[in-house]
Amino acid sequence: MKLYFPKRRLIHFLFIFPILLSFVATFLDASKVPIKFDSFHGYTGTVNYLKAVAQAYPNLTELMEIGKSTLGKPIYVLVITNMKTGIALDTLIPLRHSRNEVKNVPPMKRHQGKPGQWICGATHGNEFTGTEVCLYIIDKLLTGYENDSEIRRLLDEKVFYICPIVNPDGVYNSVEAGMFQRSNVMLRDDDGDGRVNEDGPDDLNRDGYITQFRYKDPKGDYVIDDVDSRLMIRLQPGEKTDKQRYSVIQEDLDNDKDGQRGEDPVNGIDLNRNFPEGWFRADGFPGGQGDYPTSAPEVQALAEFFTNYRNILMAQFFHTSGGFTYRPMGSSPDTAVHRKDVAVYDFILGKKYLEIIGEPVPEPWQNPEEMEKFKTALRGRTRNRYALDRGYEFPRGWRVSYNENDDRPYGYGLQADWIYRQYGAYSVTTELWNPLRDLPDFPEIREDAPRIEIQRALLRYQDEKYGGQLFLPWKKFSHPELGEGEIGGWIPIYSGNNAYPGEPLLNVCEKHWQFELFRAKLLPEVVINDVKTKILYLSDNPSSAQVDLKENQAIIKKGQPKERFIVLEIKVIIENKGQLPTHVARGANLPLNREDVVWLLGDRDKIKYLVGSVWQRLGVLEGQMKIPVPPSQIETGQETSQAPRASQPFLPVQPRLRPEIQAVEAQTVKVLSPSSREVTWVIAIEGETPIKVVVTSQKGGTKVKDISF
Amino acid sequence: MIKMKRLNMKKGMNETLLKNIFSGLLILCLLLPLAGQKKYQSSPGGYHGELDFPISWKRYYSYAEWTKIMHDMAKQYSQLADIQSIGKSRMGRDMFLLTISNKSSGKPDDKPAMWVDGAIHGNEVNGITCSLYLAWYLLTRYDYDPYVHDLVNRYTFYILPGFNVDANDSYVTWPNTSNNPRKPYRPEDDDGDGLYDEDQTEDVDGDGELSMMYIEDPKGDFKLSSDGRRFVRVTEPNDPSRRFRFLGPEGFDNDGDGRINEDDIGGPDPNRNFPADWNLQQGNPYPLSEPETRNVYEFWLRHPNILASFHYHNTGRLIMFAPPPRIQTSLTPEQRQQRQQQFQQRLAELKQTNKYAQLFDIEVPAEYQEDLRVQTEIVTMGARILKNYRPTPSGRVGQAQAASYEMFGRYAYLIELWGTPDFDADENGDGRVSDEEFLKWIDIELTGEGWINPHKVRHPDYGEIWIGGTAKKHITRTPPARYMEEEALRNTHFVLYCVSQFPRVEIDEIKITPATSNLFWIDVTVKNERAYPTSSDRSIQLGKAIKDKLIFNCSSNITLIELPAALSAIDLTDRTTFVPIAKGKEVEFRLKGHDSLIYRYLIKIDGEEGWVEVKVISKNGGKDSKRLNIKAG
Repeated sequence: MKLYFPKRRLIHFLFIFPILLSFVATFLDASKVPIKFDSFHGYTGTVNYLKAVAQAYPNLTELMEIGKSTLGKPIYVLVITNMKTGIALDTLIPLRHSRNEVKNVPPMKRHQGKPGQWICGATHGNEFTGTEVCLYIIDKLLTGYENDSEIRRLLDEKVFYICPIVNPDGVYNSVEAGMFQRSNVMLRDDDGDGRVNEDGPDDLNRDGYITQFRYKDPKGDYVIDDVDSRLMIRLQPGEKTDKQRYSVIQEDLDNDKDGQRGEDPVNGIDLNRNFPEGWFRADGFPGGQGDYPTSAPEVQALAEFFTNYRNILMAQFFHTSGGFTYRPMGSSPDTAVHRKDVAVYDFILGKKYLEIIGEPVPEPWQNPEEMEKFKTALRGRTRNRYALDRGYEFPRGWRVSYNENDDRPYGYGLQADWIYRQYGAYSVTTELWNPLRDLPDFPEIREDAPRIEIQRALLRYQDEKYGGQLFLPWKKFSHPELGEGEIGGWIPIYSGNNAYPGEPLLNVCEKHWQFELFRAKLLPEVVINDVKTKILYLSDNPSSAQVDLKENQAIIKKGQPKERFIVLEIKVIIENKGQLPTHVARGANLPLNREDVVWLLGDRDKIKYLVGSVWQRLGVLEGQMKIPVPPSQIETGQETSQAPRASQPFLPVQPRLRPEIQAVEAQTVKVLSPSSREVTWVIAIEGETPIKVVVTSQKGGTKVKDISF
Repeated sequence: MIKMKRLNMKKGMNETLLKNIFSGLLILCLLLPLAGQKKYQSSPGGYHGELDFPISWKRYYSYAEWTKIMHDMAKQYSQLADIQSIGKSRMGRDMFLLTISNKSSGKPDDKPAMWVDGAIHGNEVNGITCSLYLAWYLLTRYDYDPYVHDLVNRYTFYILPGFNVDANDSYVTWPNTSNNPRKPYRPEDDDGDGLYDEDQTEDVDGDGELSMMYIEDPKGDFKLSSDGRRFVRVTEPNDPSRRFRFLGPEGFDNDGDGRINEDDIGGPDPNRNFPADWNLQQGNPYPLSEPETRNVYEFWLRHPNILASFHYHNTGRLIMFAPPPRIQTSLTPEQRQQRQQQFQQRLAELKQTNKYAQLFDIEVPAEYQEDLRVQTEIVTMGARILKNYRPTPSGRVGQAQAASYEMFGRYAYLIELWGTPDFDADENGDGRVSDEEFLKWIDIELTGEGWINPHKVRHPDYGEIWIGGTAKKHITRTPPARYMEEEALRNTHFVLYCVSQFPRVEIDEIKITPATSNLFWIDVTVKNERAYPTSSDRSIQLGKAIKDKLIFNCSSNITLIELPAALSAIDLTDRTTFVPIAKGKEVEFRLKGHDSLIYRYLIKIDGEEGWVEVKVISKNGGKDSKRLNIKAG
């Protein structure tokens, strides 16, 4: 076989393509890669878009493959930042005499020296509204860089890590394959017959969707709705009826002829129950899903990414639906969240979120200083002891998923819990989309209205606004195993928990872009504010010397002339001029995290550090924003018996520094204010060497400044 | 090597033939069906195949060498051994695993199996020797040793000599102290300066060993010993000797921050990285985050046939077993003291007849009693086989053996190999080895090998310093190579003992007694004479246990009378002994270690003759069946 390789064409293409791109870019000032939200992108569309923007914006993006799904589909993270700014710390500090038999440390990336924000969607395959919001945010950031000075500044100083699809197989099966799959795919023999995934649902009428099959069945527990005959009403157990009874199942066949339908589908596990925090139950047995925490390749990809990118302080895990946000924790009571973080979450982030979605902000959040008053007012009005301790119950739009009234975990092994408690970022899970609130011109229906009432309204809505395209009318079908019946129902992707494409989806996107933008602007930003140098001593014709000390007589012999000798005092003021601190409340104590650090660097053969060492620790720099921390009666970290075992006990990290070095730092690092430090060195320089100060904060960024004197 | 093998085969055959002729026809007839097993030795004085695969056990092997040995084993003993890579390490090395089992007696993955891993900690490479030795022992002795032959036919051994292969290879190949490198090669910022693994140990004087550095300092705490071979602490404040300050292990200040070796290679402790009782502080960044630990765990998941596991470490000569969960009791000090006394008394009583007897002062819930019992029994034998090893319950936090037990229900052992050479070096019999005794041991038993004398060196960061006054690499944690083989042999015996105690279900007897007219009682006794139960308490609690089954069958003229499951008196005149009546043709149960159960059936016989047959099937304990022919006389 002869291989055809279009060499010449490729070269042409390579030459022409960039020219073509810049040409297109000049004329399409809005976006080099236009995007529309009148349909769902699915896995294929999303990947195509990511590749296109990565190619169109090489200076603003990096497309990373952070892992692969069970079926081998890449999981992508699009890094968005000005690729020309940011400092890789390892390039500034030369190493000497290192062992060279092992090279296990990859070079750092420049964006690792910037404060980061993580945004991801579709951890659950059927919750791809989050994917669309991610794509919307990508578009806003990239187009905004050109024409919005605020976004330009944001991308110069900060970095976004956007992972539109955490669960590629689930999204592909939900959007492209017409199924509706929350979990990932696992190659697992569910029914123990020795075969793997041999009996899943089947597209009986080959219309590209797995919808419903209904058939008359005297034992069925469905009847046709009187109001809208397209809808099926499920009877209560034991409920009697005179109407024709139906059974309703997924479109499905007994593929392996074992008498059961759909008993070994491709479905794997719920990825949002496979993270390490609170995966085990209190008795030591597994509570979460999967064989062990991070057993799913998709979850491990995330875990590995966060392990290597420690610069993220804000994290969003988009899910659907409900139109509200869960802040941690779900597996442990609110006592697992430090009071200071509670304040950031509720009074700062939660307040803004409620404003964006148009819901009232609780009074205590507006006056947290008067929390004792609200606590007193709440006494006797609730049995929720965590609410009594905080001073407020959660509003509908911003809450924890932990069941506070019954003191029961919502689930085990949740991703947002894990990021907050084991990584140290302000993570949230926003449940996007609430049709009752997000559909324009939708009739007023209460949240707790019967399901059928909402279904009727939605069906009417799609009749009017979408020409009935979201629901497949029932059509006769003869099921090879069950006989005559009908196939029809909601098209899975429109069946309720995803925003309807077009205007409703755009509304959801815009609100949550606003929320993420607000959060990004809160990120810390550590800067070198001021450098003062003072020459304490200067000698232009020094020489080497030898001292001969005998009894009380010293004889000094001068030797070879040496280079210029300076004793220099350096005072550097470092400040976090961002809004939030450089770590969550206990973030610096978490393994793999560290305090903010400042280095003074020059040619090490020419510098002697007389006061202050090469690098000094600054502690955690607070931000400019005042965080009103209310007191708590319940001891922080106290767990209830029903809560899963806290896998992270928040033990302080043992400082590796020798005590005498810590003592020195106490003198050379002066706390000017919670957000700023003055660091002093006295160094002796022999000869000429450039000197620079490098401040490096894990989540507050790395900055460098040359010192002249 | 091939030539040698043929020669020995011939020799073995001749010996056996001669013996058979003299032993008479009967024995010959018995042995004939066992073709290919003619090399069996009946006395410990015979040849057991050692030279069929010649290998030196008096040295350490690098990754390239030990994996070549494994490949050679798999090639030479292709009927008994397979080699596979269970995945790659962080630095891309294959983690090679040997599967040893007689392939013609069943698929290795279907047989009850023992897992053995060598060195999860990079520096503990004598575990590689021990597990490699086990493989070699099984393969070379298979044809010569009926004990080994039987175990290799019945069971499977999964042997992973190098676990933390990157660090294992570095430890053997490059200059290192006895303590590093220990962890997998995930970059980590130990000192919190923002750089990763940037300040490691280095062989400053280039002598191929990594010793300790001292610098002359009039205020230092150390001086040279009188023989000039060690640095010793100054005890007299006015001691006029030249003083030294201790700097640390050999190394340079790589990042120029005034500290040495403060950010050595590697991330988390791999033996805190397993899921059971995991916590972030010790097992970070997340459970099974390291390719090495994950590869092993994924293999465990794919191999439910593994019944027990061994994990080699050093040092301290300990037999640690993964303990069952404990009951937290709140005792008053008096109660505790009383309990302690009772415990000591019981142990003393046991020790009167067996000096290796063990008892563990831990309280476990009722549903875990069998696990504690069998572990006590096994490690008691371990103490005997390994001699100066001490059995004790192991730790749990994220440890491999704890995961093996707690997540899978396998009986798991952590062996701490080697320790102080008191058996050779303790001259004054105080049970300890003083510095002087240690040096003398190096001079006499190690004929002078193994010590680094203090010597002057120029250091780029410190100027003139002294290096030395320590033992070389394979002295303290990994034993001098000449000591390895006996320890490997004893450890192999302990592993084999454990495997020999894997459950084996048997039908002991079928008894028939008349009930009335043509009704008869059939009493079937099933037993497991081995120490291990057919499933562990933990596997039952995990819901992973598969019960043993007794299946009743009979000729068409015999009817099994269905009776309710209840206890029946075995002898109507004796109301103290009862047996359970088997309900239906299939009953399920678990046989504990050294356990037997009787099940009773009531049958009706029509006609003159017939038969009943019972079959016992156990996932871990194998199968057995017995038939009873019944005839009217």
